[in-house]
Amino acid sequence: MSMKDFTYRLGEFWADFRKETSGLIGLGILALCVVVVLAEPLFLPYSDVNGNWRNISYWEDNPQAAPPAWTNLFAKEKSATTSRYKSPVVTDEDDPEFGAVRVYTFKYGYKFDKAPLDIILRAKGTGMLFMNISIERPDGESVFLGQVYQDGLDGDPIRFAVETDARSAVYEFIRNFASDEAISNSDSSNVKPTDIIFSKAGENMLSAREPLKGEYLVRIKIPASILEDGTNTIEDLRLLVTGRVSGVLGTDTAKRDLYSGIIAGLKWALFIGLVTSVISVLVGVMYGIICAYFGGLTDTLMSFVFEVFVSMPMLPILIVLSAIFKPSIWIIIGSMIVFYWVGPVKTVRSMALQIKEETYIEAAKALGSGKWRIIFKHMAPLLLPYSFANMALSVPGAIVAESSLSLLGLGDPSIITWGQILHDAQLSGATLNGLWWWIVPPGLFIALMGMTFAFLGFAMDKILHPKLRTR
Amino acid sequence: MSIDKNDVILEIKDLKKHFAPHQSLAQTLTGKNRKVVKAVDGISFAIRRGEIFGLIGESGSGKTTTGKLVMKLIDPTSGTIEFNGEDVTKTDKERTKAYRRQVQMIFQDPYASMNPRFKIKDVLEEPLIIHKIPGGHVEHEEMIVKALTEVKLNPPEEFMGRYPHMLSGGQRQRVATARTLILNPLMLVADEPVSMIDLSTRAEILHMMKDVQRDLGLTYLYITHDLSTARYFTDRIAVMYLGRIVEMGDADDVIDHPLHPYTKALIDAVPEPETGKVDVIKELPISGEIPSPANIPPGCRFHTRCPYAKPECSAEAEPELIDVGNGHYQACRRYKEI
Repeated sequence: MSMKDFTYRLGEFWADFRKETSGLIGLGILALCVVVVLAEPLFLPYSDVNGNWRNISYWEDNPQAAPPAWTNLFAKEKSATTSRYKSPVVTDEDDPEFGAVRVYTFKYGYKFDKAPLDIILRAKGTGMLFMNISIERPDGESVFLGQVYQDGLDGDPIRFAVETDARSAVYEFIRNFASDEAISNSDSSNVKPTDIIFSKAGENMLSAREPLKGEYLVRIKIPASILEDGTNTIEDLRLLVTGRVSGVLGTDTAKRDLYSGIIAGLKWALFIGLVTSVISVLVGVMYGIICAYFGGLTDTLMSFVFEVFVSMPMLPILIVLSAIFKPSIWIIIGSMIVFYWVGPVKTVRSMALQIKEETYIEAAKALGSGKWRIIFKHMAPLLLPYSFANMALSVPGAIVAESSLSLLGLGDPSIITWGQILHDAQLSGATLNGLWWWIVPPGLFIALMGMTFAFLGFAMDKILHPKLRTR
Repeated sequence: MSIDKNDVILEIKDLKKHFAPHQSLAQTLTGKNRKVVKAVDGISFAIRRGEIFGLIGESGSGKTTTGKLVMKLIDPTSGTIEFNGEDVTKTDKERTKAYRRQVQMIFQDPYASMNPRFKIKDVLEEPLIIHKIPGGHVEHEEMIVKALTEVKLNPPEEFMGRYPHMLSGGQRQRVATARTLILNPLMLVADEPVSMIDLSTRAEILHMMKDVQRDLGLTYLYITHDLSTARYFTDRIAVMYLGRIVEMGDADDVIDHPLHPYTKALIDAVPEPETGKVDVIKELPISGEIPSPANIPPGCRFHTRCPYAKPECSAEAEPELIDVGNGHYQACRRYKEI
């Protein structure tokens, strides 16, 4: 088939395809998916998600199990969102306690009803460093958060998190206001430092919290004497206020950003679906043609083998296989092909039996044509359209099967798939804890991917089916 | 007139093709054998080099099966096929391929015999590729042009890029003929080549085929149910009934002086478009349908429909073909009486 001929047929196909609305929807979604996969870094809010999905410390600054940020739109009490601050205001002051100090100040405007989960300070330091960290509230009160003292730094990261490092210091702050009775009635381990920092101070600040909105100043004081000689430096000072809601699709209990996980899982869904369906359909179509063309004993034997494969339950065997081998995506794809190639065999066999009886096949034989020439030149091209439709229709099956395996904990741990996200959700009891944003989006995306290819398949089936499309 | 052995290109001896119907395991075990379909039941004939041999019979007489046996598209149950003095009944893959280069076939339906997805150019190039005829695309194209000119498809270049469905029935059959000619065969098997073509173009196609035959010195095995074209087209004919030849001889001789009652009936059935006779639907002297080849009547197999049948026809053994002189053979034991 010449190039011109091919483009002509493609043009003809496109003219028909344009009339199928469902096909166009499918094609549109697929094109969008391809764009997302190709431009993945543009869509990922975090760099290098693919290598760090299971790296707990990579995600440590994120809030845990936070709902998506847009849920604020529907909530009466607005939750704090995540905000990041760089380049603090630097001033030199005289401090009654430390003498001459250099002060780094971050400004945070708090305008929510529910306090952030955490305030995290990060920096890189060299030599010896001492920091005194406090926060000044809009009501004029100052809360001492803690002190950091580290020696022997060599560009090492420094991290100070209020949630963990300022618990006792904030408790001191409570003592200034709350009654002894209230304090003895409360359980100190239940008190969240940020809740206290962002609430109005008073007698019963422990039992009835009212948000204190306004401008907060986080002040980091470093004695001037430390920074004087230049051997001790602090660089890259950043402040992160971790919100109660996070990102497009929230986070899971391991603080991972689910939106990133879903975007990074898209390419694997496409890859698994397409590779599995293309290979298994090609194998199945050839198997069916060979069955039909050779007939007789070959057909009987091959049909027997086919029946054996068809009657084997896929999932239990895949579970055993995954238990024996170290789960890798290649083994999963390979074993899915072993079970999926049977899909088109019966239909192709019956179609090929019909084509085999055409006079032009007999004519080709009379011309001296060998069997493989007849199979590849005369029979296979007629079944190609059916194969394409079948490929599109078996993509969803492969994606769902991989998800099922991952859901059972048998996925490839080196990649991110939607099934694995669901698996993690199930393990952490996401359903019981109401973390719907952890379950619904991956499930929806699996369904959407299946729908896309089903739409494409239906449209192609309608256009290319050799029965409906007479010569 | 006997046939010189050196003159014979294809000789068939006592060729049989019996189709065994599929049996279930239970049937095999209980020994209830279903009846075998005897499509071709012992025929012998010889075709001379450069002659057009017609095989005539109604549907179910086994003439197409004979054609397929000659093409080696199916294997015979027994009997031999000799081509150019060589036994080709059982051949290996290589020999079969070589044989098919020398013997080609034109099919009844000129459209069904070409892959609808192939252009005329591809249809004609296929035999060249199959038989690995040396030469590239350009040389092949020259051969294709030559073959198309041979069958009078002018201008050839215009047809080469078309698909079969863009051609008329007559043009398609010309292409089918060109496809067989491109390999320079010795013999063509033409299975009802004009039965699906308009009457108006039928004569043209037959003329063309005859011209080609004369130009290239080909031999034809022409299979048909149509006596009128057979007379025009063939040198000798054999009439088949229910898997056997009942009469054989020179075309003019057989048609002008039929000896077997079946041949007579066939000739009487040919409509004559003459004034006053057009509206008359001829009453056939024979009645009913051809019996099933799975259940062949005993004795003379024609006796169930024969207007001259006597009890002895069914009681006695099957009559053999007998030479009545002048190369004319027939298989009726009472031909002298009727």
